[in-house]
Amino acid sequence: MGPTEFSPGLEGVVAAKTAVSEVDGANGRLIYRGGYLIEDLVPAAGYEETAYLLWHGDLPDKSQLDALRGEMVGARRLNESARRTLESLGSDVDPMDMLRTVLSAQAASKTLTKPSIPEAVALTAVMPTIVAGAYRRRQRRDVIEPRDELGHAANLLWMMDGKEPATERIHWLDSYLVLLADHGLNASTFTARVIASTGSDLASCVVGAIGALKGPAHGGATYAARTMLDSIGSVENADAWLRDAHAKHARFPGFGHRVYRTYDPRAKILREMAKTADPKLHQVAAHTEEVALKILHDAHPERPNATNVDFWASVVLTGTGISKEMFTCLFATSRVAGWTAHVLEAMEDLRIIRPASVWIGPQPGQKPLPADKR
Amino acid sequence: MPDYVPGLEGVVAAQTEISLVDGANGRLVYRGYVIADLAEEMSFEEVAHLFWFGHLPNRPELDGLAAELSGSRSLTQAAAAALDALPTDADPMDVLRSVVSVQGVRHRLEKPNIPAAIHVTASFPTILAAFHRRRQGLDPVKPRAELGHAANYLYMLTGTEADMDLVRALNTYLVLLADHGMNASTFTARVIASTDSDLASCLVGAIGALKGPAHGGAPSAVMDQLEQIGSAENAERWMREARARKERFMGFGHRVYRTYDPRAKILKAMCQRLNPKFYDLASRVEETALAILHEEHPERPQATNVEFYSAGVLQAIGLPKDLFPPTFAVARVAGWSAHVLEQASHNRLIRPQSEYIGPEPRKPVPLSERS
Repeated sequence: MGPTEFSPGLEGVVAAKTAVSEVDGANGRLIYRGGYLIEDLVPAAGYEETAYLLWHGDLPDKSQLDALRGEMVGARRLNESARRTLESLGSDVDPMDMLRTVLSAQAASKTLTKPSIPEAVALTAVMPTIVAGAYRRRQRRDVIEPRDELGHAANLLWMMDGKEPATERIHWLDSYLVLLADHGLNASTFTARVIASTGSDLASCVVGAIGALKGPAHGGATYAARTMLDSIGSVENADAWLRDAHAKHARFPGFGHRVYRTYDPRAKILREMAKTADPKLHQVAAHTEEVALKILHDAHPERPNATNVDFWASVVLTGTGISKEMFTCLFATSRVAGWTAHVLEAMEDLRIIRPASVWIGPQPGQKPLPADKR
Repeated sequence: MPDYVPGLEGVVAAQTEISLVDGANGRLVYRGYVIADLAEEMSFEEVAHLFWFGHLPNRPELDGLAAELSGSRSLTQAAAAALDALPTDADPMDVLRSVVSVQGVRHRLEKPNIPAAIHVTASFPTILAAFHRRRQGLDPVKPRAELGHAANYLYMLTGTEADMDLVRALNTYLVLLADHGMNASTFTARVIASTDSDLASCLVGAIGALKGPAHGGAPSAVMDQLEQIGSAENAERWMREARARKERFMGFGHRVYRTYDPRAKILKAMCQRLNPKFYDLASRVEETALAILHEEHPERPQATNVEFYSAGVLQAIGLPKDLFPPTFAVARVAGWSAHVLEQASHNRLIRPQSEYIGPEPRKPVPLSERS
């Protein structure tokens, strides 16, 4: 087969078959493995159940869930290499760099192993420990040990603050983690699948995916959305701020999506949660959204409503008490379930992902001159 | 929905002027120069300059780049501490992945840039040499500024200045492996770059991809297979038996070249000169493998790939098998970083589609009712 035309961003190219999730953009639906719509799953299943679903193909029964929880609790602690690597990093280092590095160290091993569900469980279980450790390190405070009787979300809050987390905060965080756990073949998931295609190990796939998620065009958008809301500051200020930004051709973080033709179903759920999680910021955000959508509609009436998950996630995470510099790490803490599920799926029919490129350089064959004659 | 393209074979994912794999004519081209014209003439530093700046350096440019590289060889304090924290029996690829990650940490997001590419490229040999010495219970050797990239790598590994022949061989290997179109690790780096992430994140991802046995892990596998075959006399029998067991021959087959891989040709000649014992066995194994593969698929081209003779060259240089893949990374980081810079300069998020093959939407059953 000869090379096709260059499709920038691989838009419209189908790079995988998957049963892990489906972004049904036309109908505004996100479907998780097993066929569950995200709005049905959030009230019915917590993060551990969702991770089980993504890895195994269906929701766990009580004993399967208990077994998974036990395994995850047992895999929460950092090993000696990871702990010392975290301590070697300066307290002003970008937390995503800390996460990328410490996870790589945690997984450094003697022999190459084939990705497996137990490894996926272990990597997923240790993410909150690294994220909370990074947060504490940035605050120059001691790391807090995990507590075995707490669930995944509750324990993350505990390790960040060292305080018993309130039930509603646990609920908001847990729901956020379920909502962000997978989303089709986004750039970080695709990164994980490309790395997996060489026969590499699961940790290499996850470390690469963290690097991709770090980019402002991907996971960094939640932070950018919150930063925008901070600088808007009040309902009164939204109109002027957004019109001014639009006049300067600035993009509105938290708006725009390649896939959904209707309102992002995750954003809808988070918008509702935001009312109770942070009523004050919700007000500013709701007004900001209204004005932003109007401006965008006036500029491009043919485009659909474009509020994306990052916009409302930034409000819910704020209400949960998460510092905004940690937003992208929280995203990774959720998405690791999806990344690992995609890698495990890719293992079933492994074929190296090696696309083509088009040569736009000089005509081949010119002879190099020696250094002194250049 | 368009059709699923397994492995994205034939799908054009980028426009590039860094390297061209001209499979039909058996040519590898770096920014217009054919590899055969560069391999034994140019230093790794000159090729890195060609990738990053778009042209071969003149004398002052080359001296400038060489000085910047040699001035960037030391590890940061954090990277040195992390290197000490990793288990001494860890896979060197995991060590490289982790320590490059530390070496690349920043306080805030930094756009990929040439100084960062120089800095991180300079550190790869230091990381590997320090780890290799540490696992033997030896102290690290400080880099020597007057030695070139290849010479200094060997010096830091052993603590003594290497024979010129071996330095030249390593340099040629580094030039030959420095880039190769849109391979899986380079593509990984470009996908990560497409999110506007930083250079270190791209490289850490690329190292992870190169670790896979289907990519950078191959030369070690070649060595394993040659060790099992043991002797030239044994080759034919062993290989026919292996084939009957449906085993693959390591170091053969590639998607792109329709003729003999131009890099393999150069490495083969180097093996003959530097590693005659390896060459005697390997050339017989190659002959036999090509004959068997031709019997099975006469329509397919000769398939010796770069990994096959890489193994013999790296062995001659004195590297242990488990340093073959990360030494591949020492070369390829020049290409990876150039591709990241190119991607970042006219960027668009790389986000392909997937085809859903799961069940139709249905309602979840509450936990208490699941069985």
